[in-house]
Amino acid sequence: MASIEQLEEKLKKISRELSSHKIELHQTRGYLQCILQNSNDMIFATDVDGILVSFSKGGEKVLGYHWQEVAGNFIKHFAVDPKDFERLIRTSQTQGSAVRLELPFRHKDGHTVYCDVSLITLTNTKGQNVGLVGVCRDITAWKKLQEDLIRVDRLAEIGRIAAGIAHEINNPLAIINEIAGWASTVVEDAKGLSNEDRDELSKAVGHIIEQTKRCRAITHQLLGFSRDSAPEKTEFDLHELLRKTIVFLQPELKYKDIDIVFNFQDKPIQLRSDPKMLEQVFVNLITNAIHAISDKNNGKGRIELRTMCMENYVEVAISDNGPGIKEADKERIFDLFYTTKPPGIGTGLGLPICQNIMKKLGGKIAFESQIGLGTTFKVAIPLS
Amino acid sequence: MTDKPDIKVLLIDDEQTLLEYLSKRLLREGFTVKATFSGEEAVEVASNENYDVAVVDLKMPGIDGVETQKRLKKIQPFLQCIVLTGHGSVETALESGQQDAFKYLLKPIDYENLVETIKEAYQKKIELVNEKFKEQVEEIYRSGLGAKGIKKAINELRKLYGID
Repeated sequence: MASIEQLEEKLKKISRELSSHKIELHQTRGYLQCILQNSNDMIFATDVDGILVSFSKGGEKVLGYHWQEVAGNFIKHFAVDPKDFERLIRTSQTQGSAVRLELPFRHKDGHTVYCDVSLITLTNTKGQNVGLVGVCRDITAWKKLQEDLIRVDRLAEIGRIAAGIAHEINNPLAIINEIAGWASTVVEDAKGLSNEDRDELSKAVGHIIEQTKRCRAITHQLLGFSRDSAPEKTEFDLHELLRKTIVFLQPELKYKDIDIVFNFQDKPIQLRSDPKMLEQVFVNLITNAIHAISDKNNGKGRIELRTMCMENYVEVAISDNGPGIKEADKERIFDLFYTTKPPGIGTGLGLPICQNIMKKLGGKIAFESQIGLGTTFKVAIPLS
Repeated sequence: MTDKPDIKVLLIDDEQTLLEYLSKRLLREGFTVKATFSGEEAVEVASNENYDVAVVDLKMPGIDGVETQKRLKKIQPFLQCIVLTGHGSVETALESGQQDAFKYLLKPIDYENLVETIKEAYQKKIELVNEKFKEQVEEIYRSGLGAKGIKKAINELRKLYGID
């Protein structure tokens, strides 16, 4: 039989071990807590009913709520579709875990946050369900990037197809143009036509020629859009280019009550870029501004051209005091063939072409618009 | 009756219908017109007869507009070529061949512009011919030939330049 000393020794040993285990446990818990709190992922735990009992810092970032705000709430209520989330929970309960690649949550400020979600059902030693742990990765930015890539791809593809069609249509168009031209001279010369018939016919042929011109403008713009030629960079004075653009647009401005205001920075800006491409961008943007102002009947038009040198780019801002861009149109104005102008005036090509050119030049194009006040388009041209 | 010069125009385009109507219009305008439907045909025609201005389509099966222009220039160095292109921009067309065309025009053709351009091209040709002719005549005089020799040489030049 063991002596008391021996038992005492054993007890001491056990209690030493216990305390070292306690320290280890504490450290492990601290370690896990650290991982949990520092992860960018939203990690949460719920009880068996799905009520939140723990919520990571990452979760606070992803959904915008503080832990105190979410504590005691059902996790499913933060999903855009709570019923769908409940189904996911049930799957996890029957199968032990569940994964969803893309599940939408509602952020505190209302926007949708897409998460890659995996749920694990917690069970106790008896195999009873005691709760749920979820790890959710915010993939909203990644998803948007993906969508942008698809959009750019699609745009390029549409551009290629459109250019192919434009090219094919351009030839028959050229023929129609010649035939119409010939027909108009025949009508002019024809003997035995009453004056009335002659007028009627030459008017009709005139319309054919007019409409052919309209098609011509579209096919040429489309062909220009998909042109793969690399920018031809030369050195030039930006202010001079902008002034030249306005001179070029004089016919458009002639009979309109529009003030052009040059608000250039004092120092001249020497740039190395493709002036022809940039001119096309400016022509498109200023033409849009002119059309916008013409849409608004009352008041005098004003278009302001402003330049500013930033650290590594130059900004050209073109502002109009037109009616502004409607909220619903804002998302679509860079879409190919999307136009708010009446048929025959807008082709829906101007802005996509501008965007395409600025991409080629390594620059950017953006806009701000307020209903009733006007629109400002900002073009950023890289300095190097 | 001829206050207008007789300008001889060679048209080259594989689109036959287009040329049919374009020829009619240009004929009515008072030009002398020959329509050909390929670069090869044009080169053949040009080796038998002189033209002032050629209107060439850039994109054709067989030899294309740029090559046609090059060969035509070899046969008739003073011939001015107007190149038609369906490209989105004239610059692209220029990139595709620096064969000093008189001008590049976009298809569908702006007819008034084409007529104007043909006339300008003709003027350019006449200037070039006169300049060269003068140069060569002066050379003949400098060469110290007798009156008979000079007359003969000039007659040969006249023939060469198609001056009657």
